[in-house]
Amino acid sequence: MNIYVHELKSYSKTTLLWTVTLVLAVVLFMSIYPAFTKDVASFKTMLEGVPEAVRHAIGLEVDQFFSLVGFYSYILLYLKMLGAIQAISLGIGILSKEVRDKTADFLLTKPVSRVDILLAKMMAAFTCILVTNVIYVMASLLIVSLVTTEPFHRQTLILLSLTVFLLQLVFLALGFMIAVVVQKIKSVLSVSLGTVFLLFFISLFGSATGDGLLRYLTPFQYVEPAYILRNQTYEWGFLLLGSLILIVSIAVSYIVYRKKDIPSV
Amino acid sequence: MNIIEVNNLTKTYGEARGISDVSFTVEQGEIFGFIGPNGAGKSTTLRTLLSLIHPTSGSATIFGKDIIKDAPDIKKDIGYLPSEVFYYDHMKVKDLLKYSASFYKKDCSKRIKELVEIMELDVNRKIDDLSLGNKKKVGIVQGLLHEPKLIILDEPTSGLDPLMQHKFFDLLEEENKKGATILFSSHILSEVQRLCDRVAIIKEGKIIKLEKISTLNDDHFKKIHIETSHPIEHNYLRMEGVTDLVVDQHKVSFLFKGDVNAILKQIAAISITNISVVEPDLEEIFMHFYEKEEV
Repeated sequence: MNIYVHELKSYSKTTLLWTVTLVLAVVLFMSIYPAFTKDVASFKTMLEGVPEAVRHAIGLEVDQFFSLVGFYSYILLYLKMLGAIQAISLGIGILSKEVRDKTADFLLTKPVSRVDILLAKMMAAFTCILVTNVIYVMASLLIVSLVTTEPFHRQTLILLSLTVFLLQLVFLALGFMIAVVVQKIKSVLSVSLGTVFLLFFISLFGSATGDGLLRYLTPFQYVEPAYILRNQTYEWGFLLLGSLILIVSIAVSYIVYRKKDIPSV
Repeated sequence: MNIIEVNNLTKTYGEARGISDVSFTVEQGEIFGFIGPNGAGKSTTLRTLLSLIHPTSGSATIFGKDIIKDAPDIKKDIGYLPSEVFYYDHMKVKDLLKYSASFYKKDCSKRIKELVEIMELDVNRKIDDLSLGNKKKVGIVQGLLHEPKLIILDEPTSGLDPLMQHKFFDLLEEENKKGATILFSSHILSEVQRLCDRVAIIKEGKIIKLEKISTLNDDHFKKIHIETSHPIEHNYLRMEGVTDLVVDQHKVSFLFKGDVNAILKQIAAISITNISVVEPDLEEIFMHFYEKEEV
């Protein structure tokens, strides 16, 4: 419990910062929504001028774009990217910092098993992500209801907002695994950004070409807003795949961390 | 009773050497020194005992329990001070000590207060702002605050000023009197001589000698340099107990072991301008020692 509290404390500021960033991003994006809907017809012709492949890549569906949830699901792409960066850097950071900051000699010579340390850190990171998302979902509901007077489907909006959470869980677990498997991580941010952008561009490329196989490669596409808009539910197959990645990542972290040699300072 | 029992412990890092076939025991209440040059495998051995790294083969027990399987249990009664200390920079000293104490299921606040006073530590400062020596002090308090039965120290005095070293050694001797067993590594012979009952000498990953310090003291070498006012005859100082004799015009240096009076008389008979008698450092003494033994 003491490790959990300690980790939570040391990540409270970063978590707050990320949460504020996500909420501000929603505020910013949604504040331009009324401007878009003022002149739908001329925007439509303009958007149709954008090449189809590009439209697909950035998830822009002209018909949906001008509905509130449609617009929201469009901006989700970028929120998900932010969320992914937060989650993976948290995952990598929290498990690699003892080695990076050379405090492993302190923590790992205490009367506590490595499994307990791992568990406490994972729970602390999960708590941070959970808090971020509770605030984020509530804030986005509030913001959306503020910018529009027309009725909208609350459940769809929540389903859409929760995709950030689901995606973050996968990236958090990936972060854990990277932290444990890679011997020494000098810069958390560069590894995080690298991984996120790689998967993000695979996602853009997959959407642009409509390649079905690429979808499996990048968690960004496991929860597609377009599908949710049409069906009011997630794609269970992909949800399962996401859970699988989650479980495997955590299992690998567990197995490796238990036996890992701590490099001397 | 043996507090530590190490059986054929081997650790290899790929191609690089770690330790091989290390075996020794440390008895209850003993102060056991682990000496050898840098990179000989001292830290590797200590880190293996603390399960920071896992042995390639062999085994070891502490308090009769397996160092890997029962690691968390064993560590309740171990205090460890690494050679270089690093803590969470953003924390205040007192918060770190509290965090450290929270791992042990007992009230350590009284002992913390005592130790902080002895070590003259300012607990309201941030770790980040501390000098190397002060960080080391935090390490000492942190390692002793739960009154461990076994104290493991890796190069304990590096970074401490002589005054603090002195206090620290007194503290260790006190802990030892109260019943604590101490295992520490060092490459400074005088440190080991002052504190230890027994020493293991490690070289290139292997223990080459395990000896009572009293026996080792009898093997005392002195390193003597003299400068003479006139060049002396080459073999003037070649007598029993003198080895590694180098004569270069006015300058003479050699290792001496045996009756100091005899050599001093010999030196007194010539006119000298300077003399220094020092304990050779560990490397020299044992290089010399074992080169001969290997022949």
